Amino acid sequence: MSTQKQGNGGSRGELRHDDKEAFERRLAGLGKRLGDVKSREAAESMASRGRSSQNRGMAYGLRMASELVAAVLVGGLIGYALDHFLGTKPWLFLVMFILGFAAGVTNVMRSYDRVQRDVAKTTGGNIGHAVPDDNDD
Amino acid sequence: MPDPIHQFDLERLFHLNLFGYDASFTNSSLYMVVVVVAIVGFLLYAIQTRSLVPTRLQSLAEMAYEFVAGMIRDSMGEEGMKFFPLIFTLFMFIFAANMIGLIPGAFTVTSHVIVTAALALLVFLTVIIAGFAKNGLGFLKLFVPDGVPIYVLPLVSAIEVISFFSRPISHSLRLFANMLAGHITLKVFAGFIVMLLGSAGAAKFLMPLPLIAVVGITALEFLVAFLQAYVFTMLTCMYLNDALHPSH
Repeated sequence: MSTQKQGNGGSRGELRHDDKEAFERRLAGLGKRLGDVKSREAAESMASRGRSSQNRGMAYGLRMASELVAAVLVGGLIGYALDHFLGTKPWLFLVMFILGFAAGVTNVMRSYDRVQRDVAKTTGGNIGHAVPDDNDD
Repeated sequence: MPDPIHQFDLERLFHLNLFGYDASFTNSSLYMVVVVVAIVGFLLYAIQTRSLVPTRLQSLAEMAYEFVAGMIRDSMGEEGMKFFPLIFTLFMFIFAANMIGLIPGAFTVTSHVIVTAALALLVFLTVIIAGFAKNGLGFLKLFVPDGVPIYVLPLVSAIEVISFFSRPISHSLRLFANMLAGHITLKVFAGFIVMLLGSAGAAKFLMPLPLIAVVGITALEFLVAFLQAYVFTMLTCMYLNDALHPSH
């Protein structure tokens, strides 16, 4: 607007009234289209993040069971070997078997903590949607 | 019905005896060579042009790099990038072995527990060596969690030791068991198709059911092949992070 010349019949800088109206209509249309594209992109990126976190959830789920079983196995094995060498059958085996179970539960709880932290990191702490409460007192 | 276990049989291709050990070149060795050649060939071919605007193959290679590098930075920070060669190699090897194993008639290297156990032990020993090299005896703090009263410490330490030694077991068993179970399931369902076709009477018309199942399971196996490579790599990152920062 600063380049407009006075008394020039509005040929360059100043638009005529109906031109201006058409221009503003187009501007508004463009703004709307841009908004549509942006919201669609946001939805797509949300969906793809959901998919990738779903995949990761499956990866975590596959882990848990084997963590538990492996710890029980290793505890039992260590106990059995110690019994074999110290001649204290079957006491150390029993003790280590139970400790192995405890270690397995610890493993599972630790990996669960890690899942929680990862999920909180990617979603910014808000998991799922807020649902309106049915029985408001 | 075809034997579903037959696909895991080892066959000696060249007989070789080294210092009294049977070190023959088997079909498993052959497929390991195929996997390594495929990876190296793909990466070398993909980065041949090295253009700023990548070709399709180059962007695939870059995606693989970004994926593994992102995983390392997430779990260990920038410090962990010195383990990048090891972790990238592990990921590419397991992923390629799982994928090539899905080609009908091909041998799955990762379906043998000895192979996955060797990979898991490699990670386990790396963790121990890197842990002691970086922290000295401070690495043993891994077995002594903070804030535990002294009278339960022996118990907690015993649990931590068992938990530490259970890592290579679960690490190797998970990959091996998933690949083994998936391939057996595929073979069994494929065997049902043949059995139903060969049967007399109306049972023949049930044939499409296992066929649909096989198609579905094949798709699932592709997902599992990727997920298991991802899980193995992610756990490697996590264990190495413990080696760098032993206190929980």
